[in-house]
Amino acid sequence: MSIAVPRGSDGRPGALWAVPALLYFALFAVVPMALVVALSFTDWSGLGSPHWAGARNWTRLLHDPGLGQSLRLSLLLTVVTWAVQTLICLPLGVWCAGPQRSRAVLGTLFFVPLLMSSAAVALLFGALLDPNFGLAHTVGPWIGVDDGNFIGDPHKALWTVTAVITWQFVPFHTLLYQAAARQVPAQLYEAATIDGAGRWRQFASITLPQLRNTVVTSSVLILVGSLTYFDIVLILTDGGPGTSTRILPLHMYLTGFSSFDMGYASVLAVLLLAAGTTLSLLVVRITGFRRMTSQREGL
Amino acid sequence: MSTTDTLTRERRPHRTAAARSPRRARARRTGRPYRRADWAGGAAAAVWLVIVAVPLYYVVASSLRDRSDYLDAGPLSLPHHLVFSNYRTVLDSGFPTYLWNSIVVSAATVALVLLLALPAAYAVVRSRSRFVSAGFSVMLMGLAIPAQATIVPVYLIITRLHVYDTLLAVILPTAAFSLPMAILVLTSTMRDIPGELYEAMTMDGAAALQTLRSLVLPLSRPGLVTIGIYTALGAWNGFIFPLVLTQSDARRTVTLGLWNYQGQQGGVNVPATMAAVLLSLLPLLVAYLFGRRQLLSGLTAGFGK
Amino acid sequence: MKSAPTLGVTLGATLRATAAVSAAAVLAVTATACGSSGPGAAGGSGGGGRVTVWTLQDTAFNPVQKKSVSAYNAASKDTRATMQTFVNDPYKQKLQTALGSPNAPDVFLNWGGGNLSTYVKSGEVADLSADLDATFTAKFLPSVLAAGTLDGKVYGVPMEGVQPVALFSNKDVFAAAGITAPPATWQDLLADIDTLKAKKVTPIALAGSQAWTELMWLEYLLDRVGGPEVFAGIQAGTPGAWDDPAVATALGMIRDLVERGAFGTNYGSVSQDSGGADALLAKGRAGMELMGSWEYAGQLATAPKFVKDGKLGWTTFPTVPGGKGDPKNVVGNPSNFFSVTAKSANRSDAVDFVKKTVTEPSYVSDLLSIGQVPAVAGIDAQIKASPNADYTGFIYQLVAGAPSFTQSWDQALDPATAQKLLTNLQKVFNKQSTPQQFVSAMDAK
Repeated sequence: MSIAVPRGSDGRPGALWAVPALLYFALFAVVPMALVVALSFTDWSGLGSPHWAGARNWTRLLHDPGLGQSLRLSLLLTVVTWAVQTLICLPLGVWCAGPQRSRAVLGTLFFVPLLMSSAAVALLFGALLDPNFGLAHTVGPWIGVDDGNFIGDPHKALWTVTAVITWQFVPFHTLLYQAAARQVPAQLYEAATIDGAGRWRQFASITLPQLRNTVVTSSVLILVGSLTYFDIVLILTDGGPGTSTRILPLHMYLTGFSSFDMGYASVLAVLLLAAGTTLSLLVVRITGFRRMTSQREGL
Repeated sequence: MSTTDTLTRERRPHRTAAARSPRRARARRTGRPYRRADWAGGAAAAVWLVIVAVPLYYVVASSLRDRSDYLDAGPLSLPHHLVFSNYRTVLDSGFPTYLWNSIVVSAATVALVLLLALPAAYAVVRSRSRFVSAGFSVMLMGLAIPAQATIVPVYLIITRLHVYDTLLAVILPTAAFSLPMAILVLTSTMRDIPGELYEAMTMDGAAALQTLRSLVLPLSRPGLVTIGIYTALGAWNGFIFPLVLTQSDARRTVTLGLWNYQGQQGGVNVPATMAAVLLSLLPLLVAYLFGRRQLLSGLTAGFGK
Repeated sequence: MKSAPTLGVTLGATLRATAAVSAAAVLAVTATACGSSGPGAAGGSGGGGRVTVWTLQDTAFNPVQKKSVSAYNAASKDTRATMQTFVNDPYKQKLQTALGSPNAPDVFLNWGGGNLSTYVKSGEVADLSADLDATFTAKFLPSVLAAGTLDGKVYGVPMEGVQPVALFSNKDVFAAAGITAPPATWQDLLADIDTLKAKKVTPIALAGSQAWTELMWLEYLLDRVGGPEVFAGIQAGTPGAWDDPAVATALGMIRDLVERGAFGTNYGSVSQDSGGADALLAKGRAGMELMGSWEYAGQLATAPKFVKDGKLGWTTFPTVPGGKGDPKNVVGNPSNFFSVTAKSANRSDAVDFVKKTVTEPSYVSDLLSIGQVPAVAGIDAQIKASPNADYTGFIYQLVAGAPSFTQSWDQALDPATAQKLLTNLQKVFNKQSTPQQFVSAMDAK
C-alpha cells in the first residue's frame, strides 16, 4: 500500500486535521471540567478569590438532605421521560410514516413544538397551568384535579414537569421514527400480508425489529438530553414547591447562583460531570461507536 | 485487509443506499397492499393532535386579546375583538434586537461547529493516528456533559478572554458543547461512504484535502445538514450561556428576553407574554413553512438508519 | 426591578414581580431598552472624573435617573457620570462577580441590609460616614437609613422609593360579604376569612409558587408576636435564634390560616410573575392580598378601572393580641441604596454624585410622579400634591411612623440561608412540614 504513495500523501488526513476541534473542545469543555474539580475544594462566594477548603465541601455531601432527593428526582425524570416519549413517539412516528396525504399534513402540525425554545415552552405552560385563569382551571376537573393545582402540588409537580418536557420533545423523536419507518422495505410487508399476518403481527415482527437502531438513537438522544432539562424546570417551577422538582442540575445551579456557594455547587457539578460521563460511556458501549472506529482504523 | 473489514464494507453501502433514498422507498411503498384504516393509530394521533393544537391555539388567541378579555372569557374562548397592542408592546421593548442576536449566535455557532467538526470527523474516520482516536474518545465522553456543570469556569475563561457580554461569549462555549454530537453524526455519515471510493481517490493520487473536497464533502451532505439544523436549534434554545455570560440589554438573546418578559409587563400580562412567545418562534416558523421538507428530512438524515 | 423582595435569591422568578413600579410605565413608556448599556457597557470605570453608576433596568424609574444624571453632568465641570442598567435577576450575580474586579463600577445600586453587609464584609464598599455630614443624613427617614448603616457607619444612601408590605383588599368583595372595615386585629382577620369562605370567595390571594410572597406573612407575624428583636437575632446568626418560641407561634398561626382555607387550595400553582394573585384580587375572586407597596402601581397598570373606581383598599397588617411587637412596625424593602465601591478610582467624584443627586427636590418630585415614595423626611406637603396622594400618603405615614422597618428576610439573610428559608417555608405552607420541622431544618448547619 505504501509502496507507490509517499508517506504523508497516502490520501489519508493526518492527526493535524483533528487538532483545531480538539484544542477548541479542550479549552471550552475539558479545561472547565478540570477547573470545576479544583473549585470543589475551595470556598468561594463569587466575591473575591476562592479559598482552599480541603475536602470540606465533599464531606458536606453526606449531610446534604437535598442531595438524595435531587438524585432520585433526576433519575425518575430521566426514566419516565424516556419511557413516555418512546411509547408515544414510536407508534406516532410509524403512523405518520403512512403513505396517506392527510397523515403528512397532520405530521406538519405535530412538529411545530420543535420550533419552540425551552423558555417559550415554559412560559406557555406556566400560563396554561395557572389554576384560576389558565387551562388547568378547565381541564383539571375532567381529570380529577378539581382545583387545577398541578405545579403547586408537591405530589403532582414532577409529573407535570415530565408532561411538559414530553410535549416539547415528542415531535423530534416522532420525526426520527417517521423517517426510519419510511425506510422499512415495503416487500417485507407485502410478504407478511401474503403469509396472512395481521396488523399487530406485522408491527411486532417487522416494524419493531426494523426500527431497532432508531430506538437506540432516539434513546441515546433522550438520555443525553435528560441532564439538560434544567432551564425548563428553572422557569416553570424553580425547583418547587418546596424541593419537589429540584433535580440535580437545578440543585447545582441554585446552590451556585442563588446561594452563591460556589464551592459546594462545584461538588454537585462534579457529580453531574460524573453522571454525564457515565451516561456517555454507557451510550458508547451500547451503540458501539468506539468499536466501529477501532475495527476500521485499527487494521 | 481482513475479512471483517471487507464484510463491513460490503454490507454498509447496501444499507446506505436504502437509507439515502427515502423518495424511492416511499414510491415503492405506495404499492403496498395494505390500506385498511388504522383506527387505533388514528385515534391516538387525534388525541396527540389535540394536545399539540390546543396550546398552540392558546398562544395565538391569547396574544390577540387584551388582558381583561383574557381573564374574563377564559383561556380557550375566541378573542372578543382582535387586539394587536400586545405585539406592539413586545416589539417596542427591544424584541427585534433579541431576535437578531439569536440569529447571529445561531448562525455563527453553526459555522464554527461545521468548520471544526468537518476536518475532525474526516480525521477520525480516515486517519490512522492513535492521537485522533484518543481525542475522539475524549469527545465522546463529552456527549452527555451538561453545560451548566461547567458554567462557573467557563465564566472565568470568558472574562479572561475579555469577551464577556459580547455575542462571542455565547457563541464560543455553545459551539464547544455542540461539537461532540456534531462529530459523532458526521463520522457515522462518513463511515457510510464506501471504502472503495476512498481507495479510488488514493489510487488517483489525491491528497487528503482533495479527497475531502471532491468525495467526502458531497457525500456527507446529509450529515452536515443535520448537524447544521441540530446545532442551530440548540443555539437558538440556549439559555444558561446567555444568562451567565452576557449582561446588557443589547446582547440579550430571545430565550433570555422571553424569560425576562414575564415580570416586566407589570408581572401580569399573559397576553403580551404570549405575543412574545409567538414572535420568538416566528423566524423558525417562517423557515419551517418554506423549507419544511428539507428541514424535517435534514434533521433526521444524519441520525439515519 | 427594584427591590424585589427576593431579588436574586431565587434567581428565577422572584423579583420580577416587583416590576410593579415599572408596571405603571408599561402603559406610558414604550421602550424598555432605555438602558444606557450600549456597546462596551461592560467596561470598567475609566479614570479622570468619570463615574460609572450601576442601576437596575426599570421602565418607569430609569428616565428619572437619566434626568438626574444629565442634570448632574450639566452642573459639574469635570465629573461625568454614566449610568448602566441591568436586568433585575442576574444583577446580584453580576455584582457578586464584578465587585473587586477591574469591571467594578464606582457607584452601585443595592438593597441595603444583609445584602449590603455581604459586600461590606468582603471589603468592597466604601464607608461614607466621614463624607456625609449630619445635615445630609438627617434628610432621610431614620428607619430606612438604618438599612444602609452597619455598626454605626453609613455605607448606603437611599435612592428610591420605600416599599413596605401592606394588606390590600377588594372593597366590592368585602361589601358583598358584609364586611364593613378591613381587619384591624388577628381575630377580625380570622372572622373575615370565614365570612369570605362562606361566600365561596378565596379569602386571601397568595402566589404560593413563589415563596417570597409567603415569607411576607411570616415576617409580619413574627414581628407582631415576638418583636423585631427575634429576627435581629436570627440575622446576627445568634445560635438558637430560630428556636425562639415566637417563631413556632408565628408558623402555627400560618398553619392555622392554611388549614382554615384562607388561601384556598390551589395557591401553590399561582405565580406572582404572571400576575396570578393580583388578577384574583382585581377580578373579585379573592378578598385580600398581602403584598409590597408596589401592588398599587401594578394594579393601576394592569387593572386601571379597579383602582380608579376606588375598589382597591389598603391597610396595615392586623395587630396580634398579646404580641410583643409594636403594631406600628413594618416589614418590606426599606429602599434601594447607592453605595460607593471601596476601590473606586474616583471615590470623591462618586461621593459627590451621590450627595448631589438623591435628595434634589426635582428628583424627589420625579419619584413621586412615578408613584414612588422617597425615603426623604418632611415631604408631606409634596406628597399631598402628588398624584394618588391617598395611597402615597398612607405609605409615607406608614414608614415615617414606624419604630422599626425590618428588611425582607430573603434580602437581609445571606443568600444560602435565604434559599433554605424559602424552600422550608414553602413546605410549611404546603403542609409538608410542621413548624417544629421548619425550626429544626433552619437550625441545622
